[in-house]
Amino acid sequence: MRIQETMDLYDKLQILTDAAKYDVACTSSGADRKGDGTGMGSCERAGICHSFSADGRCISLLKILFTNECIYDCKYCINRRTNDVPRASFTPDEVCTLTMEFYRRNYIEGLFLSSGVLVSPDYTMELLYATLYKLRRECNFQGYIHVKAIPGASRDLVERLGFLADRMSINLELPTADGLKALAPHKTRKKILEPMRLVQTRTAQNKQEIQVYRGAPRFVPAGQSTQMIIGATPETDYQIIQVAQSLYQKFDLKRVFYSAFVHVNEDSALPARTGEGPPLLREHRLYQADWLLRYYHFQAEELLSEEDPNFNVLFDPKCNWALKHLNYFPVEINRAEYRMLLRVPGIGYKSASRIVKARRLGVLKFEDLKKMGVVLKRALYFITCSGKMMYPTRMEEDYIARNLLETKEKLPVEVRNMGYRQMSLFDDVRFRENVML
Amino acid sequence: MKTIYVCEDSVTGIYSGIYDAWKSGKEEGECGIALKGLVEQELFCDYAEVEESWKKAAAVDRMIRKNLGERTHRDLYYALLSNDREKGNVVLGTMMAARRLPDSRRIMEHLSHPMVEKVFELSRSVGGEAHNLKGFLRFRELENGVLYAPITPKAQVLTCLAPHFADRLPLENWMIHDKNHQMFAVHEAGKQWVLAEETEEMRKKQKEKFDRVSVEEGQYVRLWKGFCRAISIEERKNPGCQLSHLPLRYRPNMTEFTEGNIR
Repeated sequence: MRIQETMDLYDKLQILTDAAKYDVACTSSGADRKGDGTGMGSCERAGICHSFSADGRCISLLKILFTNECIYDCKYCINRRTNDVPRASFTPDEVCTLTMEFYRRNYIEGLFLSSGVLVSPDYTMELLYATLYKLRRECNFQGYIHVKAIPGASRDLVERLGFLADRMSINLELPTADGLKALAPHKTRKKILEPMRLVQTRTAQNKQEIQVYRGAPRFVPAGQSTQMIIGATPETDYQIIQVAQSLYQKFDLKRVFYSAFVHVNEDSALPARTGEGPPLLREHRLYQADWLLRYYHFQAEELLSEEDPNFNVLFDPKCNWALKHLNYFPVEINRAEYRMLLRVPGIGYKSASRIVKARRLGVLKFEDLKKMGVVLKRALYFITCSGKMMYPTRMEEDYIARNLLETKEKLPVEVRNMGYRQMSLFDDVRFRENVML
Repeated sequence: MKTIYVCEDSVTGIYSGIYDAWKSGKEEGECGIALKGLVEQELFCDYAEVEESWKKAAAVDRMIRKNLGERTHRDLYYALLSNDREKGNVVLGTMMAARRLPDSRRIMEHLSHPMVEKVFELSRSVGGEAHNLKGFLRFRELENGVLYAPITPKAQVLTCLAPHFADRLPLENWMIHDKNHQMFAVHEAGKQWVLAEETEEMRKKQKEKFDRVSVEEGQYVRLWKGFCRAISIEERKNPGCQLSHLPLRYRPNMTEFTEGNIR
């Protein structure tokens, strides 16, 4: 065994940030809270991004692990027990200092605290609790805190932690129980869903408490989220979004995050290394579909099916749906129902509500739509204004598909540069090739 | 004949112009507002110089809040903070248009009206910049413990930022310095924030002051830079995506994008 020399704060921060970077959620949204004037911090409902890292992801929270020591041996994880990586642990004081000093310089919006499992789930949770307690009660920090619950920790600890945090998340890790069994032998589906259910029921209870007594302490006001790794196990996109949908419906989750699998370990249980890097486009499509589920009243079953279980490489899920359901189009902007507007590619939920309001006061033309945030180059095939289309177009799947492809959504270079011929060779197992040229 | 009211490029100035235009009882299309120094001469127009006054501005502000509602007030106000030369004119036009609606409070929904649409566009861009700066602004701790943040925004967003930071850092002494518009928002611990104009004399005197940071500052700058480097996943590197979310113009004032440590 190697004895660790004492490490300075900089080294610790490097190690424990590096270890936390694969966690996806860095959102600071969902909580709205003014400062009370006696400490430091406030929360904005929309969340605030403070910076963007070189990979284009938002940095809004100080995202760190409390410790990267772990008794578990999850095959996909850099911090698994059997890996020989430098290990470090913060003390509650160090986490508080970093958070407070970063916060007052406006580097961050709050703290994201996760942890490897040290000694036992309960022991680790106690440490997280001690840290948050100090931060909230002694430093009087009123900014955003997102904390991970450790699967297997006792109910009592989960509950106490929930009163200090704004958001709590328990990682689903992998979309199915089989996947979990194969890659995370020490975790079970039950142990993950149990605390998730607890947070859900406790939140519902808390809503009533607040109604009775306005000053009652808030239990995870920004709700709970989860994340799963995409591409480490052979699930189809259809399975994944069905899981997400049921999490939203049955567990009242605020967000489900998807994390493209990054090869950090060599293990026979993991998919072979391909040299293509993480499946980023697939992750992107899943997020697009996730948005459709949450804001656009789509059902998982409308987007994909057993026979057609994976997303299209070339078109986003909404476009794909529209191309397959041309019988609903074109829709008349000045008359169509709000829900139908939501289904038009190029119209988002904000522009849809602007359209609904603006058309009460005047007839809308194509120029007006552009100013409202509608992406006309996509929408123009699917809409009419006062009965006329923007340009003469044909209502044919092939024709529209070809034209939409020319406007080129930002696809990864490999996909973009693919000629027609090569396209049939493109053989990412996750993607059905569906070329409509 | 159309009258164009020429006023100072400030919220008070333009509000005073709107006051004069409103008082004249002219209809939509018969009056307009131009900014001093940025007047584009038109034919068949009268030009009237506007006398800036707090009283007039306060009256217009009250009128907007009362008749058009808080949300519209916010949109109009944000539009006036932008650096568009047409801003006064479109705000006046929007207010005139609101008179003809059965419910004036809904004026910002009337996006097919060109004036309203322009106000919407300006307000959205100013609001966007202010929101971005709430995140991208960086304080540094000066020798005397004051937190100092320089910004170089397109619009005059100080009044949008200051309440946010006053709520967030109530017990700190801080100031935000808008270098493009030579303005300061200054907050003393436990008190209200104030807006101050930067004079030439101040600029000379204080330039060096803002570079002298506290002893601990360097340590946290280093920690933060290290954090930003470590949080990025090499396999996912995507400078294009980073650029679209965080435009270059914000970066010179951001700790993690500046070379070397500040003294």
